[in-house]
Amino acid sequence: MWQSGGVSDEDRLSRAQARTILGRVLKMAAPFRKMIYLSFACVMVTTTTTLSAPVIVRYGIDAGIRAGDVDALNLSVVLYLVVVSFTYVFGRLLFVFVNRTGESFLRVLRLAVFRQMQRQSMAFFDRNKAGVLVARMTADIESMSELVQFGLLQFLSATLMLIFAIIVLLFLSWQLTLVALIVMPVLVLASIKFQRDSNKAYLTVRERVGTNLSALQEGITTVRVIQAYAQEEEAIRKFKISNRSLFASHEKSVRISTWYFALIEFSGVLASGLMIGIGGWFVHRGTVTLGTVVAFVLLLSSLFDPVQQLSQLYNTVQSAGAALNKLFAILDAKPEVDEHHAAVDLPQTGELKVSDVSFTYVGADSPALRGVSIKVGVGEKLALVGPTGAGKSTLAKLMARLYDPQTGSVEFGGVNLKMATMPSLRERIAVVPQEGFLFNGSIRDNLRIARADATDADIEAAIDAIGATDHFAQFSDGLDTQVRERGSRLSAGERQLVALARAALVDPAVLVLDEATSNLDPGTEAEVEHALERLMAGRTVIVVAHRLSTVQRADHIAVVVDAKIAEYGSHSELLARNGHYAELARAWQKSHAPS
Amino acid sequence: MSVSETDSEVSARLEFEQAQRSEGWKLLRGLLRDQRRNLVIGGLIGVTWASFKVAIPQVTKFAINDGIEKNGPLLKWSLIIIGLGVMTGILSGFRRYVAFRESRWAETLLREKLFSHVLGLNIGYHDKAQTGQLMSRASSDLMQIQAFIVMIPITMSNIIQIFAVAAILFITDPVLAIVAMAPLPFVNISARRFSNRIHPISIAVQAEQAQLANVVEESVSGVRVVKGFGAEQVQFDKLEKEADDIFREAMKASKIRSNFLPAIDVLPALGAVGVLGVGGHRVLSGQLSIGDLVAFNVYLTLLVWPLRNIGMIVALGQRAASALVRIHEVLSTNSEITDPTVARDLPSQNGRQLGAVRFDHVQFGYDAERPVLRNFNLDIAAGESIAIVGATASGKSTVARLLLRFYDTDNGHVFLDGVDVRKLKLRELRQQIGVVFEDTVLFNDTVTNNISFAKPDAAQTDLERAAKLAGAHDFILQLPNGYDTVIGERGFSLSGGQRQRIAIARAIISDPRVLVLDDATSAVDPSKEGEIRDAMRTVMSGRTTIVIAHRPGTIALASRVVFIDDQAVAAIGKHEELVATNARYREVLASMQQAKSDTAKAAV
Repeated sequence: MWQSGGVSDEDRLSRAQARTILGRVLKMAAPFRKMIYLSFACVMVTTTTTLSAPVIVRYGIDAGIRAGDVDALNLSVVLYLVVVSFTYVFGRLLFVFVNRTGESFLRVLRLAVFRQMQRQSMAFFDRNKAGVLVARMTADIESMSELVQFGLLQFLSATLMLIFAIIVLLFLSWQLTLVALIVMPVLVLASIKFQRDSNKAYLTVRERVGTNLSALQEGITTVRVIQAYAQEEEAIRKFKISNRSLFASHEKSVRISTWYFALIEFSGVLASGLMIGIGGWFVHRGTVTLGTVVAFVLLLSSLFDPVQQLSQLYNTVQSAGAALNKLFAILDAKPEVDEHHAAVDLPQTGELKVSDVSFTYVGADSPALRGVSIKVGVGEKLALVGPTGAGKSTLAKLMARLYDPQTGSVEFGGVNLKMATMPSLRERIAVVPQEGFLFNGSIRDNLRIARADATDADIEAAIDAIGATDHFAQFSDGLDTQVRERGSRLSAGERQLVALARAALVDPAVLVLDEATSNLDPGTEAEVEHALERLMAGRTVIVVAHRLSTVQRADHIAVVVDAKIAEYGSHSELLARNGHYAELARAWQKSHAPS
Repeated sequence: MSVSETDSEVSARLEFEQAQRSEGWKLLRGLLRDQRRNLVIGGLIGVTWASFKVAIPQVTKFAINDGIEKNGPLLKWSLIIIGLGVMTGILSGFRRYVAFRESRWAETLLREKLFSHVLGLNIGYHDKAQTGQLMSRASSDLMQIQAFIVMIPITMSNIIQIFAVAAILFITDPVLAIVAMAPLPFVNISARRFSNRIHPISIAVQAEQAQLANVVEESVSGVRVVKGFGAEQVQFDKLEKEADDIFREAMKASKIRSNFLPAIDVLPALGAVGVLGVGGHRVLSGQLSIGDLVAFNVYLTLLVWPLRNIGMIVALGQRAASALVRIHEVLSTNSEITDPTVARDLPSQNGRQLGAVRFDHVQFGYDAERPVLRNFNLDIAAGESIAIVGATASGKSTVARLLLRFYDTDNGHVFLDGVDVRKLKLRELRQQIGVVFEDTVLFNDTVTNNISFAKPDAAQTDLERAAKLAGAHDFILQLPNGYDTVIGERGFSLSGGQRQRIAIARAIISDPRVLVLDDATSAVDPSKEGEIRDAMRTVMSGRTTIVIAHRPGTIALASRVVFIDDQAVAAIGKHEELVATNARYREVLASMQQAKSDTAKAAV
């Protein structure tokens, strides 16, 4: 349509920001410098040839036809043909070069942003919602592809066209150039106003398209509730409100473009009218030739089209700038948890020791952990229990260095985790999250997430280690079964099995488990339990527990309440103490008893 | 298209597609019937605009010949041209406005039609339909149609413009007209071919972009796994592959663009070269005036856009046609569950307790081959509360769905207060049944609107009474804006138990005869289950209630247990009796217990 981009006021860049961004873009695009020069050369050629056509026609008319010189006429025809061929050939090359440059740039940008995103620590992912990060990598980068495919090219050629056109016109006749430019101020002012209004209208449309889609989706996904309560008419009435408001915003934006395009069309004709009137007067006085007036009439569009194009591109360029600004913010983010320059490998085994650790999430009012100390000996099983949000998961995460504590230290075998090399850390301490999270691909691919260099034999051994060989052998494609999106092909229990096999593949000394709160399908529940038991055997285990049975199997239980360890001991010891733990255990029992 | 298709199969397929398409066009015609007048006005404006537009070069020519060459009245000519400019400006604005407004209006109405139709389709349809598919019907397919409709008035004026210009050129100088126009058909052909060729590639680019989005999405959502195992490089490699795929497809698109766009730009210029050469010689030999020659050039430029547009509209029309076929497919699906032609009324109070439910020899399966319920008989007295217990997929929830008439039985009858549910208006039936679904669905709306959903005109006192009964009133008052707090996916996030209680309040606000509680406590923090159960107990008293029990704790709420096994009612009685007498019941209970709580094991 007539507009493809839009930018809200808070995203609009300042002049200084724009300059910085341009500088960084050029730096990133440095590898394609040659291609950029070639593109530029092509734009120069095509612009020149496009503009020289009317000049050649003028020569043909004045020197050839009017002077009765057949040779001059023929020469002009040949020249015209040459110019047209040039326009074509260089036009083709231009597309190739500009598109290749642009897409290469987007590719580099995608890779750079993603790599940097991956380097960030967990805190970064807590701060930035998943949807926003995905949008950066998709919508924001894609918003530039229009610019890359057409915009950049149009921008270059429109600017050059405008400059060249004015030069050519001045060269032909400065008097007529002034006549042609009479309309220009009106056109420029109108374009600026249009650009502003249409940007605003576009943002409204975009927002309402989103709202309307959500309304639509809500209607479809909640159809069972709507029908169960016989509220179809009410739901339709509500949808109509959002749908009609979308229509109203479309209507408004068309209205804005209506007067603008009307004015554009009028200005073009107005300029021709003036050219005939004033230009004709000049011809009568002998100041300019008829051919010049004709050339001017023909060249007027070369003057007006670029202005119009530039005004429409303005928004696209603006929104690309805003997108780049956000992307560079990611590229500039420093990972909080990173490898120390003097990092050492962790020892094969050792005691896990948390000393006086405090930790506050970024943006949180109060600390999640306050001066916590605890020791887990080699092969010992520790269960962390406590109310939601008391800090038990945080403690587990710190013990796997998903975060670094603000004060205090976490040591493994006497080495501070902050000083450990990343690969050795991930080999010694494996984290198995609550839900068995699966990636697109086969079961085998999903295990390789844990160790990219694992052989097929390693993978099979890992599956065997948790006793799930038979289970996955039931699948027709075995370990090559595609798990589909988010593992939807597998049951929750099977996904959990894959997650456990991943940990087995790493063969870590320490296992950090976050027990699932929700329940699994009865069929695989037992298998998961069994796999877990095999996996835990002989390893140090820290488990964030939600079930009594798990807790009872642990050597020690730490009850985390209000960012601190409130109680520590074995199941029976803590029951006897009749404190937080005893209360929790009673609540668990009560909720599951049949009557 | 498969390779092994025989000729007759091909012709049958083509015939079918043809029939589909004509249905699609019929839909469009029907849709545009009410807007016919405005579209015709738009077309007429366009035609008038085109004739003015065509007149301008003609006038310019006269102005040059008469005004400049022959020293005629310049001011007059100048003003005439400017006057024409005013007219074309106004008319082109209106043409644009009418075209866009009408196309958007058609799109708006069709979206509403689609939405109401889909909302009325039976649940069986929704079980199979994918939300994403329906969404793209109502968004991208409608966009294709809108893009086509907007071109209708524009095309009308374009056609007129082409004919008018061609006529003028031929009248002025037939030979030169042929020279000038010879390359132009290729503009049209190229534009059409370009549009057809670029379309699949842009779709391929989008598909690759979606795949890249998937990799990003899973890397971000699964960041704990990625970080936990240090799998950054693995994910990076995946992303690089997707980025390369996008690049490759984008280069294909670029190639197509470079093949067509410069050619489309250059073709008219070839005509202009011809005009200069051939026309120049004809002026020299006195067969043509200079003014005519200049006008020829101008007219040529007037032909370029209309020809390109017509090339585009053919491609747009093809896309709109397939979109229309897909939309027609949805609209032509009829709901399998509809109001009876002659509806009966439910018996009214008359001092008796209402809400008796009876299943009489019911047979039902989601697909006819595999029945879920067979010879299912159940009598629930008015005001009684029963718990339905059964193994996973035994058909517990199906019982409630049949009562709601989400599905019709394959055999047998379901009665509410003695009336076959199929004899009742759907609205009347469903208003008498309050349901709390297993997955608590709340709307992105205020608490008030969520609770009063079943009864939009409910008074505030009714609302609060329902909330109090459901044990929700107190925590609602604690919310940032009390009853006006927006909840749901994009609003204030509530705990599972709070959501549950709002859903219960919603179910009882219209004081239904029957309450169905599809035990959703599975989504609730174990320590909060007690509170939910208390709320349930309150709302159940004195009302027919069917509790679909997914965990043992809920069974205690009901006075009788209906045990479903092997597609029928296997036993009815008190929980303790069944535990004592029925081995299979104990087994199912144990599997529920084992699956849902190993705590119970520990506690016994």
